[in-house]
Amino acid sequence: MITVENLTKRYGGTTAVQDVSFTVQPGSITGFLGPNGAGKSTTLRMLTGLTPPTSGTATITGKRYADLPNPGRVVGVMLDAAAQHPGRTGRETLLLNASLLGVPKGRVDEMLEAVGLTSAAKRRVGQYSLGMRQRLGIASALLGDPAVLILDEPANGMDPEGIRWMRGLLQDFAARGGTVILSSHLLGEVQATVDRLVVIGGGRIVANGALEELLAGSGTLVRGLDPIGLNQALTAAGLRLEPLQDGALRVDATAEQVGRAAAAAGQILIELRQSDGAGLEELFFQLTSAPVAEAA
Amino acid sequence: MTTVTDVAPSAPAKHRAEVATALPPARGQSFLKLVAIELRKSVNTRSGRVLLAAILLLALVAIGWQLTHLPPGAAGFDGFLGAASSGVMLLLPVIGVMAMTSEWTQRTALTTFTLSPRRVRVQLAKFLSAIVLAVVAMTVVILLAVAGTALAGAVTDHTTSYAGMGGQLAGAYLTIMLNVVMGAAFGAVIPQTAVAILVFFIAPTAWSLAGPALFKDNANWLDVWGAFGRIAERDLHGMVPETLTALGVWIVLPTIAGLWASSRREVK
Repeated sequence: MITVENLTKRYGGTTAVQDVSFTVQPGSITGFLGPNGAGKSTTLRMLTGLTPPTSGTATITGKRYADLPNPGRVVGVMLDAAAQHPGRTGRETLLLNASLLGVPKGRVDEMLEAVGLTSAAKRRVGQYSLGMRQRLGIASALLGDPAVLILDEPANGMDPEGIRWMRGLLQDFAARGGTVILSSHLLGEVQATVDRLVVIGGGRIVANGALEELLAGSGTLVRGLDPIGLNQALTAAGLRLEPLQDGALRVDATAEQVGRAAAAAGQILIELRQSDGAGLEELFFQLTSAPVAEAA
Repeated sequence: MTTVTDVAPSAPAKHRAEVATALPPARGQSFLKLVAIELRKSVNTRSGRVLLAAILLLALVAIGWQLTHLPPGAAGFDGFLGAASSGVMLLLPVIGVMAMTSEWTQRTALTTFTLSPRRVRVQLAKFLSAIVLAVVAMTVVILLAVAGTALAGAVTDHTTSYAGMGGQLAGAYLTIMLNVVMGAAFGAVIPQTAVAILVFFIAPTAWSLAGPALFKDNANWLDVWGAFGRIAERDLHGMVPETLTALGVWIVLPTIAGLWASSRREVK
């Protein structure tokens, strides 16, 4: 379990992260989203003890990261898969970490196999593709059999096949009671993987909740033979709506409410369904592009 | 079904419950373990191995040269040691520098300091591992020098002399350790390998060249190469305060500054 409370980080006069609070529960995967420079990485680095916060606390299983006697046995961290020594072999990289974590060498070969790097284990990391380095980073994070995973852009550089594998791995990990927080810019991938979302914009949390709930807010999509007439009818019925470019309307109401209002005004509907919009992508821009609004 | 070339593992990853019982209980990281790991890190990269091989090769070449160019009189161990150890004196500090800088230039600090958040401990382990490596490398070089001396006695008509060997060994060990700690300290202060190595070699040399011209004998207070020379000769020429000051300014001060800087440096 990860608990972040009122984390703030200032660099001189600029505030990178302001009063950020959220929790990540065991058995769930939380997507941590935000545009570049929104404070994502800074938050993850404060969480992993790399950057001291100006104020606030971040704890993992109830302890500050720096107070964990052997952090790798509790939390698997991969902040940048590219940050590995190119002059070491993949296996040697893991053996070093295994020694530090106090896990047997057999675990290293097990992990290499689990991430599909057995055949490349004796090659130098410098010859690895980014996707392979991601796999090595995942192997390293899982090495100490942690209860918590903190991953920054784990799918970056992976092929579709690797991304699907990673999704299975993380969902499996969470299903066993593991706690996962991951950041990603691949919104489609995030939508397919995570249970919960924490969205950060301009250093503040702008959304925090279950994926379904956050996406459900988009209402009902309706299309009528007479778009203008339908618009007037629904507005007259007191429903809040937003015209879309293709003539459809998105209404903040249930399909039933929309149907009744349209029927009452004699409007003919040619489409009426739950609005899916562009899903996470639309939500993301809605939340992060506007001059940062108050937390949702 | 067509054959699919599958790079991803077909078996689900083994983690958590499946292996949880098989792993030994989690323990803290002893300082000794950190030292052992840092030692391993300085020799398990290609650049580390190349440097060690170069040190060995230089020692062998120097001994070979010494064997074929023996001065008249007894073949002295001191001559062989002096020749054989010049390579190690020159190159081993580079390993000390790299032990510190490679974490930042290769960005492995990200992993190192997330796995061991107490950075000063890790840095101290690096210093100690650099010293251990220096002692091991110097021991190999000394053994080669002994072998070279013995070989000179066996295949040439020179007699061999091991006069003053104890003192020479003490001087050699002490100098190499000071050298490598100084290298590591410079690496801790300046996180770019190339810049740190340049400054390590150039700054004290520049002082030993320019200092005497500017400050006459007072330059001795900051001449660290001079101090090393006196220590290697085990004769401080009555310049104890000068020697200690030079060591303080070029070794102790950068060590402290380096520990402070690298424990606060932002890991990118």
